[in-house]
Amino acid sequence: MNTGFLQEQKTLEGDLNSENSHQNSVDFLMNWFRKRSIFVLAYGTGCGAIEMPPTFTSRYDAERLGIRGAATPRQADVIIVSGYCSYKTLRRIIRTYEQMSNPKYVLALGSCTVNGGMYWDSYNTIKKLEDYLPVDMYVNGCMPRPESILEGFIEIQKEIGEGKASSWQKYEENYKFYRKNQEAVLGEKVEPSYEADWYLYDGGL
Amino acid sequence: MDLSLFGLTDIVVSLKATHLANFFAMLIAFSSGIVIFISKNYRLTKSFYALFLLLSSSLFLIVYAQDYLLFFIGWEVMSISTYFLLSFTLSKEALHKYIIFAMASALSLFLAILILYSGTHSFLYENARESFLALSDVNGIIFVALMLFGIFVKLGTIGFHYWLVDAYEESHNFFTPYLSAVLSKMGVFALIILVTQVVTLTYTLAIIGLFTSIIATFKAINEDSAKRLLAYSSIAQLGYIVTVLGVADGMSGALYHSLIHTAVKLLLFINIAGIIYVTGRSKFSELGGLIYRMPQSFTLMLIGIIVLAGMPPLGGFASKFMIYTSLLDAKNLLILSAVMFSSASAFLYIYKLIYGVYLGHPTNKKLESVKEVPLSFLLPQYILALLLILIGTFPAFVVPYFNAILDELGLKQMAFSDISTLISNFGEYNGLVVISTFITLFAVVLLFLVSNRSRVKEAKNRFDIAYCGEEPTESTHLHYGYSMGKELRRVSLLNHIYKNSVKPFYDFIASQTLGFSDIFKKIYTGNLANNFQMALVFAIILLWWSIK
Amino acid sequence: MILLDSLLMFIIAYGTGFLYYGLYRNITARFQRRYGPPVWQSFFDSIKFFTKEDSTSHGWMFYLGPIIMMSGAIMTLIFIPFFSSGESFVGFSKYGNLFVVLYLLVLGPLGNALGVGAAGNPFGAMGITRGLSRLFAMELPFYIAVIAIMSLSGSSDIATISSTQTTLNAIAYPLLFIAAMFSFIGMMGQAPFDVVGAPVEVYSGPATEFSGKFLALLMSQSAIFTFAKLVLMVHLFLGGADGFVELLSKTFLLFLFVIAFGSMYGRFKTPQSIDFLLKVPTVIAVVGLILATWSS
Repeated sequence: MNTGFLQEQKTLEGDLNSENSHQNSVDFLMNWFRKRSIFVLAYGTGCGAIEMPPTFTSRYDAERLGIRGAATPRQADVIIVSGYCSYKTLRRIIRTYEQMSNPKYVLALGSCTVNGGMYWDSYNTIKKLEDYLPVDMYVNGCMPRPESILEGFIEIQKEIGEGKASSWQKYEENYKFYRKNQEAVLGEKVEPSYEADWYLYDGGL
Repeated sequence: MDLSLFGLTDIVVSLKATHLANFFAMLIAFSSGIVIFISKNYRLTKSFYALFLLLSSSLFLIVYAQDYLLFFIGWEVMSISTYFLLSFTLSKEALHKYIIFAMASALSLFLAILILYSGTHSFLYENARESFLALSDVNGIIFVALMLFGIFVKLGTIGFHYWLVDAYEESHNFFTPYLSAVLSKMGVFALIILVTQVVTLTYTLAIIGLFTSIIATFKAINEDSAKRLLAYSSIAQLGYIVTVLGVADGMSGALYHSLIHTAVKLLLFINIAGIIYVTGRSKFSELGGLIYRMPQSFTLMLIGIIVLAGMPPLGGFASKFMIYTSLLDAKNLLILSAVMFSSASAFLYIYKLIYGVYLGHPTNKKLESVKEVPLSFLLPQYILALLLILIGTFPAFVVPYFNAILDELGLKQMAFSDISTLISNFGEYNGLVVISTFITLFAVVLLFLVSNRSRVKEAKNRFDIAYCGEEPTESTHLHYGYSMGKELRRVSLLNHIYKNSVKPFYDFIASQTLGFSDIFKKIYTGNLANNFQMALVFAIILLWWSIK
Repeated sequence: MILLDSLLMFIIAYGTGFLYYGLYRNITARFQRRYGPPVWQSFFDSIKFFTKEDSTSHGWMFYLGPIIMMSGAIMTLIFIPFFSSGESFVGFSKYGNLFVVLYLLVLGPLGNALGVGAAGNPFGAMGITRGLSRLFAMELPFYIAVIAIMSLSGSSDIATISSTQTTLNAIAYPLLFIAAMFSFIGMMGQAPFDVVGAPVEVYSGPATEFSGKFLALLMSQSAIFTFAKLVLMVHLFLGGADGFVELLSKTFLLFLFVIAFGSMYGRFKTPQSIDFLLKVPTVIAVVGLILATWSS
């Protein structure tokens, strides 16, 4: 007879113990810890940020899944690109993303990150986030409700647990491709070169 | 020593190598050696060295004297030779402040000594106590007040510190350590003689010492120049010594703290002298980020500030421990809490010192290419740092020597079991165990961290900091913390300390004196004819008076 | 033997500290009408940071800063005995005394300050300034209360202080206990005196720039410090403990009170907290001191 809040919780928590894929035990253990504790950078980049406070506070309580906010990019695992990215914001997002420490994940909310969404013909926003940053999980909607965001988190946790969430490795391996796209759109205001040094001259990793 | 061949048959003076004198003489000799060693980096005239020799010998005269007359001669020579040494670099205003205060203190000391002489017609220390008891009540109070005024000016107690901060800031960079480490100890020596040979003062000294430490600590937090900050810090540390001399059994704490304070102020001032030598700047707003260019200086200053803060692994804690336990013993609990409070507030200016100079970001281009200070600055610092570490590890090493001093002064001796444990009535402190545990834990955690699988990526550029997604550039103001302490003005209680200063009081005295002396201008107008007229008038008055 | 003792003390403090943090998140969540994370969440957080692939460092001083913090935390822990009497779980406490412990409490923030200063982030310097300003104001009522207790027990050895309490010091000298509790709430990092680590307001304050394994060290030393401070308060005011059940229940009750208090109040600004701490708790402590030592 339990519907509503408690039932929701049982369904959500039931998905945390997913089946494992082919990893050795050290990697399995590490990924298990990584999926149980996720720090989300407190950065609302677009209009999807309005849905983040209810997700992380009492009504929809993302903390029971181990998700909490982090203040600085150095401490965060996940950056949520919540909606459209103007060129001005894109520059800060890229700089922030590069300051996070590996392994890091990108959760893209809303349809603006998929194909431009509502701003598909704007002169000032980007149309496809995948060209500039590697995305782990898209959550569709305009804006996705907290339940959808929570489902997105659970999916990300599943993928982390199986060792499949490796967008950060994709970024490092294809850095030149991403950098070319970023320079094309940001012009001469792209980030300073000491960021690129990590990726290019460290041998990729 | 009999002065009868000078024609003074009434006066007896004497010199004696007491243990107390030997202790202070050792401090003087050690500091003089170090300061002269550094001075070869600066081009100095021969007169400077001659004056310095005069100064040191006067200090030895002060400590080895066994009577107040020789003591005073030494004190005067010290004041005057310091004046000449300071006049090389001080501005006129600061120099005037120094000489007025020094002369006032010397004269009041002389007056106090003469009042004491009127007790039993002897200058010797051993007759001092009966001299004091033979004085009338009023004379006794006047004696104590004058004596304390003279000593407090030298110590830089708050209220009489007006000359000290400017003198420290503008004096020659290698002479300031000497000022702070040694000359202030002469005030301590004078206070010790007063308290042990003549009269015990309890709450007077304790309250004055308290106010000194608390006010000077907060004023130090507010300073922008490194030398001024260390000057206020010296005032505060000496305030601890004054407080602890005001309680029974506080002599061991006072002696220990004198030793530690000499060493640590030498270390810190020499460090700052090296910085100024290499970069030419002494303000925090113009320094910063020197840690990677000068790692050795940084490490030495780190040791210095840990000792200054009184933290356990190193030597500063031992002296603080002695001070605290003697205050606890005497049940002066509120005074003890105030001393611990000012000691905790000292963390702020201690951190400001090291952050403003070494940490943070460099504030101009030249600082990014400086070299390490020359070896002649580093060598004395290494010696002092080693000494402080050794005192921290074996804090009871000096206890037998202090016991000899205490025995001679007739005070209770400190308990002693082995050289690494300080024992007091309220517990023990084993320096060797503390420092070895710290080093072991440090090594263990370092090993653990190094062997962790997570790789460490060095930030390639000093601008690569988490700055809310922005990128700071050369013109961004990043050396933010140098103005630490300004926000304390918003606390209403502390604002009282910052708003008020002694300057208006002394300006008032100066203006009154000038106004008063204006009256004499009516008589001595500077006109030669007027002078003859006045001389004639006075001669007539004198003649008439002598005829009467 | 003493090394094994210390190692066990460290392991117990580590586990209990993190468990208390997990319980703290759970209890605060229940206050806010939601479920919280599982009780083991803090373990997962710190282990996750240890498994990060890379950590950023800003030079050798930045690298050594967290190590100084951790050594300071463990040293504070092993100089406080767990039990008031007996020979087990006393660590190195007989080589030190309460003054040593009071000063070691500041060794952690000093290492933090050096590491953050070496990174050069101005937000870090801002956080350190707040921390040090709050420190001296917070310590004044605490020092007055502790000094009174030391004088009344006649010794600065922690085991002696806790074992010579016939009635609990909290009940015999209530004013001193209240004054010390004000400071203790600040020491635990709870509202209203928690402006130092305010996460988003000051960009994490003193924990800025630490990532990966350095942040894991910070969290671990925070847990150990918490437990050490709780045990210290239990010995000073709540009569010490003679067994693990008594120790854990007393520390947990104290912790529960502190976090309940903290979840009720908002946060004071730094000048406001300094002003308050220098006025109200200080006066209470001084009055308590005078009343307590008047007769002796």
